[in-house]
Amino acid sequence: MRRLRTPLGFAAVASLAFLLFMVVLGPIIWAGEAVRTDTMALNQGPSAEHLVGTDGLGRDVLARVMVASRLTVGLALLATAIAVGGGLVIGGLPAVLGRRAGRLISGFIGLVVAFPGLLIALVLAVVLGSGGTSAALAIGLASVPAFARLTQTLAASVAGRDFVAAARVLGVGRVRMLFRHILPNIGEPLIVQATLGAGGALLAFAALSFLGLGVQAPDYDWGLLLNEGLNRVYLNPAAALAPGAAVALAGLAFNVLGEFAAQVFGGRATAAPAAGRSARPAPGDALTVEDLRVAYGDAEPVKGVSFSLEPGERVGLVGESGSGKSLTALAVAGLIEPPGVVHGTISSGETAMVFQDPMTSLNPALRVGTQLAEVARVHGRLSRKAAWERAVTRLTDVHIAAAARVVRQYPHELSGGMRQRAMIAMGLMGSPRVIIADEPTTALDVTVQKQILDLLREVSDRSGAAILLISHDLAVVGQLCSRVLVMYAGVIVEDLTVERLRAGPAHPYTRALLASVPDMAADRSQPLATIPGRMPSPAERLPGCAFAPRCPLADSRCHASPPPLENGVRCWHPVAGESVTVAEKGSEG
Amino acid sequence: MAIQTSHPWAAYLGRRLMRFLLSLALLVTATFGMVHVIPGDPVRAALGVTASPELIAARTAELGLDLPIWEQYGRYVTGLFTGELGQSMVSGLPVAQTIADRLPYTALLALVAFAVVMVTAVPVGMALAAWTRGGRRRGLELVFTGVSGLLAVVPEFLLAVALIVVFAVTLELLPVADVTGAMGPEHYVLPALALAAGPAAALARIVRVEGLGVLSSDYLRTARAKRLPARLIHLRHALPNLLTGALTIGGLLISGLIAGSVLVENVFAWPGLGDAMVEAIKAKDYPVVQGVVLIYGGAVLLVNLAVDVALGKLDPRSTIRED
Amino acid sequence: MTALEFHGVRVRLGRGRQAKEIVRGVDLEVPSGTVVGLVGESGCGKSTLARSAVGLVPLAAGHVVPGRRRAVQLVFQDPYSSLDPRMTVGAAITEALPRRRLFARPSARPPGAAAAEVARFLDLVGLEAAHAQRLPGHLSGGQRQRVALARALAARPEVVIADEITSALDVSVQGMVLNLVKDIQRELGLTLLFISHNLAVVRYVSDRVAVMSEGRVVEEGPVDEVMGSPRDPYTRTLLESVPRLR
Repeated sequence: MRRLRTPLGFAAVASLAFLLFMVVLGPIIWAGEAVRTDTMALNQGPSAEHLVGTDGLGRDVLARVMVASRLTVGLALLATAIAVGGGLVIGGLPAVLGRRAGRLISGFIGLVVAFPGLLIALVLAVVLGSGGTSAALAIGLASVPAFARLTQTLAASVAGRDFVAAARVLGVGRVRMLFRHILPNIGEPLIVQATLGAGGALLAFAALSFLGLGVQAPDYDWGLLLNEGLNRVYLNPAAALAPGAAVALAGLAFNVLGEFAAQVFGGRATAAPAAGRSARPAPGDALTVEDLRVAYGDAEPVKGVSFSLEPGERVGLVGESGSGKSLTALAVAGLIEPPGVVHGTISSGETAMVFQDPMTSLNPALRVGTQLAEVARVHGRLSRKAAWERAVTRLTDVHIAAAARVVRQYPHELSGGMRQRAMIAMGLMGSPRVIIADEPTTALDVTVQKQILDLLREVSDRSGAAILLISHDLAVVGQLCSRVLVMYAGVIVEDLTVERLRAGPAHPYTRALLASVPDMAADRSQPLATIPGRMPSPAERLPGCAFAPRCPLADSRCHASPPPLENGVRCWHPVAGESVTVAEKGSEG
Repeated sequence: MAIQTSHPWAAYLGRRLMRFLLSLALLVTATFGMVHVIPGDPVRAALGVTASPELIAARTAELGLDLPIWEQYGRYVTGLFTGELGQSMVSGLPVAQTIADRLPYTALLALVAFAVVMVTAVPVGMALAAWTRGGRRRGLELVFTGVSGLLAVVPEFLLAVALIVVFAVTLELLPVADVTGAMGPEHYVLPALALAAGPAAALARIVRVEGLGVLSSDYLRTARAKRLPARLIHLRHALPNLLTGALTIGGLLISGLIAGSVLVENVFAWPGLGDAMVEAIKAKDYPVVQGVVLIYGGAVLLVNLAVDVALGKLDPRSTIRED
Repeated sequence: MTALEFHGVRVRLGRGRQAKEIVRGVDLEVPSGTVVGLVGESGCGKSTLARSAVGLVPLAAGHVVPGRRRAVQLVFQDPYSSLDPRMTVGAAITEALPRRRLFARPSARPPGAAAAEVARFLDLVGLEAAHAQRLPGHLSGGQRQRVALARALAARPEVVIADEITSALDVSVQGMVLNLVKDIQRELGLTLLFISHNLAVVRYVSDRVAVMSEGRVVEEGPVDEVMGSPRDPYTRTLLESVPRLR
């Protein structure tokens, strides 16, 4: 496995080796040493003969530590087994028993889980008495609530997913559901937590034995040895440190194994470090972008984009997912963060941004008014009162009723449409020359979408701000914009007016896009055109035109060399003047 | 959209108080039941094998252990309201007295440790989140994860032993607790450090992870789009959202801290509740154990309630969420 | 094939004081062998109505025909959560196959039979038989939706409800899935209730269309009639709001 070559992988292998060595070989190798008393060498410090010294009966402390590992780890594993077994049963019950009983059980678990495990273990130790196995039982039972809660939460999250609903519709019974669908999907996080739990159990055990409530003499484990060592710490501190180090190392070993398991199951991406920024000189047009490139390590999602917006102009940037349109918008707004690197020149006046999801784009912990007012306070240097007043005015400008009340509310109290209006109002707190709207209506209902698009038009007309509207929907762009830029695989392939778009675009991709999406006039008797293949990913670099592999008009020249952007089209064979009928008979795939 | 009551805050508080009272009832019943589940005669176990039958009978009657169980439960609960927690089976001293004597030491230690945790973990975690975002400063990230991982894993009593060995025995820099009662601030250093180091490391890690999440969230992107100064971005926009996640874990850690104090007290021979409890368990002095567990459990529940209330203030959405 | 009928259906969601009636008295019929589209905005209750037809939410009033389990199958919106990530495509489809006799154990079935059935359904949705061994994690969104469709069909339902099945797909993949749905419906004579918020897509796929708003059906009829000359004011508002390029 490649993962073993990472530092964590090495650590995991080392941990496992360490544990196995101690548990399997420790008692075998040092058994004799551990019981040999030497009344001539009581309580000695470290020496060549006794690496960590001797105890009150002259026995080699290191040997005793080694021998004790089997009992210590064994009891810890026993406690873990009890905890996981009990937790699985109790935590799995709500899924099997149904709503009422399930709620009762989960409520009970919720109450018990509030108490720290060690406290419960101590109470149970009182009830069950001292001794190794009773302590294991105490610790195991004390950890059952935590595992039950974990099992239950994991099971509930799986149970809420569509494939469980689908299985129910198929008639799958509760028990089969639990074993076939739910448990396999929670196995991995449970294994991780069980491994970490084993480490915790080990530590809890050491604690109990240390207090004298766990393993009793003449048996001994690390906890008991630690206790003995502490009593004589002024005579021989090493005798206290050795068992302590063993406990710490073993606990660490379990943790490393748990983290490694989590990584194996989860799969984490390693980010490539980088740095970079772009220049932002003075305005001329409302917005000018020259040869914009955005790179993340080897991948270059934006491969050289150039365009400009005149003051008050409304331009759409259209593309499918993976075309690079959103990153272009973010780069223009200066919001690309490391490890992304931006090259190229961007010059624009004051910019306002409207993002796609207003629920996540507004800070849930702050009132709407605060988020609007701070723009004016920071950039406009307005007083608090004046800034809030402007916020109310702007909210009214975007047609939010009862703005004075809304301004004091939190984002989650507003509807989706209102939130998006609030975002637009936030952009208007200054005097933006450019408004960049990234899929502002994708998450909204169609009637609300119309209102927002109308609002953007009104705002642009009144304030003279230019709009760059990013969308995957040609019809949406057609509603608001006068010009459209079509992006494919990181470059602009066509720059045309909306009239041209309606009459018949020149680029084969734009035409295919138009033909494959049904509109209100589509011919129902014809199948929809489909575009075979898929868009190249940002890491792929093709020698010729990126669309060539999927283009019905491609020839050898298209595959060999990339066409330049000329007369608004980036194509060696632009289509002249034909209109596109939706559901053209394109090539099926 | 959920139907909102006219006072969502009051409803939220009401639900939390309800849960607090239920948990308290559970705690009281558990501490009561704990003693009665133990096999054998507790009085005989406490007084030892040599005690005479008359003494045992007298003690049993004295403690009311010959009454029917429901009556004992009733007495127990009513006794709690008057602060009557029974008497030690071994010494005969009122349990309430023992608790009153020892609680201040435990409480003070726990508070000092808690302060240390908060003052170190949150700023360190936040700073590291800002510094190591987006793969920057890999070296720093590695050092931090390594050191904090180690500290978080080593249990407090081990740390306590190690600290004693290093600072008290070898270097003779700081004293270990002096039971004669002269406890100056320097006596608090080692125990508080031992208690706080693990939770502080764990909390710093959590704060960093939460911070990374918050700093790459959509609303932080909006804040950056507004070109706000870094101070506002971190303190006004990031911090409140970060605190909600950190607070939940912080609450758990504090509960763990309360439990860990039992062990640390033992190592340092600290004259607090934990020490009393362990001795009582070994001596099978159940009334003392009952009383101390009640205090510890109650403290944990109070901490949870405080965390819930604080969370309700920080994250307005959580007050609507049903549990 | 039989028709899908909703008679006076009411559905309440939530507990105690938070309970809200999401579906408020719906009478709707999907004639046997036809496609009826169901449109409406978020919160109108169309998804809840679909779930009530398959027993995923309890009915507060009214009844649904057919009421038998498995007679109605549902295809979900999110291709990334509608397949069990731990089950191979083949196992997922096999789970849907009807059991031959009431107490037959899986081993009683001749070994090749299940695999042959699986291959047949995969072919129906345009996937190769080799896909049966693959896990959903290795399939694209469009392929997953096709598997979900195959699974629903494998249960031999009388009615299929498609709940926003193309909303989470890329624009270029949408067309392929829509073509597939139309072909299969025609080939098998399926009774299909097609739910979507996208009016253009619904218009393309359906014979009749019903418009839902706030838990009720406000208009219903042949698709050209409803979309060409709507009678209800809400339908009119809806149609006016659809962005048109031309």
